[in-house]
Amino acid sequence: MDQPVTTNPFVIMLINMTIVFIVLVSLSFLIRLIHYCDPTKVKETPAEEPKAVAPPPPPPVVEQPVEEGIPEEVIAVICAAISTYGYSVGQIHSIRPVHNNHAWEHSVTYPNTRLTH
Amino acid sequence: MELFNAFAVSLESVWLDSGFYSFTLGNGIMIAVGLLLLYMAFVKEFEPLLLGPIAFGCILANFPRTGFFDEMNLMLAINFGIKYEIFPPLIFLGIGAMTDFSPLLARPSTLLLGAAAQIGVFVALVGAMLVGFDVKEAAAIGIIGGADGPTSIYLSTKLAPHLLGAIAVAAYSYMSLVPLIQPPVMRALTTKAEREIEMQELRPVTKFERVMFPIVSTIFISLLLPPIAALLGCLMLGNLFRESGVTDRLSDTAQNSLCNIVTIFLATGTGMTMNAHDFLRADTILIICLGLVAFIGGTAGGVIFGKIMCKMTGGKVNPLIGSAGVSAVPMAARVSQVEGMRAKPGNFLLMHAMGPNVAGVIGTAVAAGTMLAMLK
Repeated sequence: MDQPVTTNPFVIMLINMTIVFIVLVSLSFLIRLIHYCDPTKVKETPAEEPKAVAPPPPPPVVEQPVEEGIPEEVIAVICAAISTYGYSVGQIHSIRPVHNNHAWEHSVTYPNTRLTH
Repeated sequence: MELFNAFAVSLESVWLDSGFYSFTLGNGIMIAVGLLLLYMAFVKEFEPLLLGPIAFGCILANFPRTGFFDEMNLMLAINFGIKYEIFPPLIFLGIGAMTDFSPLLARPSTLLLGAAAQIGVFVALVGAMLVGFDVKEAAAIGIIGGADGPTSIYLSTKLAPHLLGAIAVAAYSYMSLVPLIQPPVMRALTTKAEREIEMQELRPVTKFERVMFPIVSTIFISLLLPPIAALLGCLMLGNLFRESGVTDRLSDTAQNSLCNIVTIFLATGTGMTMNAHDFLRADTILIICLGLVAFIGGTAGGVIFGKIMCKMTGGKVNPLIGSAGVSAVPMAARVSQVEGMRAKPGNFLLMHAMGPNVAGVIGTAVAAGTMLAMLK
């Protein structure tokens, strides 16, 4: 085709937006179809009556909330940061240093995490 | 005396062959532009992985008498990679290998947000035609609103290759400015109550779904829109490498080594199109302005459709995720997250916004495909 079918910008906009919506709506149906046909999905089972079970005994060892060796300034900064996000300090379960978490370090420093195409 | 004459003739010959002799004011301005872009890339850290090589390519392109495009050499080979649309699909291969489609698969309705955000493409197309660009140039300019660099380059090489430099620079510059451009639009179009909406957790997605989606969508879209089969096919092939679980080496290569190498070539080659003769025109300023209109239009389209979805679902969808419908993966999703957290601390929207963000990539490619089918 040598000449475009139309050069009216509003007609081009209307036709193209319609096609984009139709294609993406069709894709969403395909996604639902894949989910429907998925042989590996866990089927929802009706909730069973909970059996009367005695409550489990409390854990014998209580985890130390703050591991030794962490400076008080660091604990204060963590508490302040958590408070900033709307949580109370009483919700903190424990504060522990993370050792040898190389995967996380790599995900933070990896140059591709900054790539926006 | 003879020695003096020979020396003078040699010096004159060196001078006449040098770049200084043929250097123009335009070359000087474009080298200054390249230096400014370098500053933005390396000091301000605006998309340094892309703007850096683009800026350096711009500087290289404005040295006279280099003969870069006279005979086969590295620069000409890089130029062929752009001219014959080799690099954009390879970049998409890497993007596919890097991107998790699970948020989209868990909530397919977010595809509509990716579609709605494409309105920016067509608003810019209309604007470009109204200011005098022909329909093919306007389509290539409009795709800047998709916030998708490879697709912008892909479409402009097919429809308006003479505008490639300006379009690529506008697209990548605005993508790096997404955190500055989008938030005012998002806040202007939403109420605080809407921004505070917390969305329900996404359902788990099985490996079967994650593997089947790239296969099924490639078959469907490639049959429907063959002009973008290379782009979409590579995107989905990269994602298949990632999700299959048995091609880790290929996935690793696609998302790291290959993607980095092609990024260097694509970005440098794009910069090499910014020579003074092609770039220093009034059209370039218009393209830069239209690109901004396209970005704002796309953001607004996504947010407004997000508000519609919010109403239709009884307040279960936060309209802020609509702005991620312009591609710019994952930066646009991060902006939704930041705005959500600003409205209500603890309101995590990142994973919800990744759905429309991925849909935006597909939507922009589809928009490019439909325009290619109509206009080429």
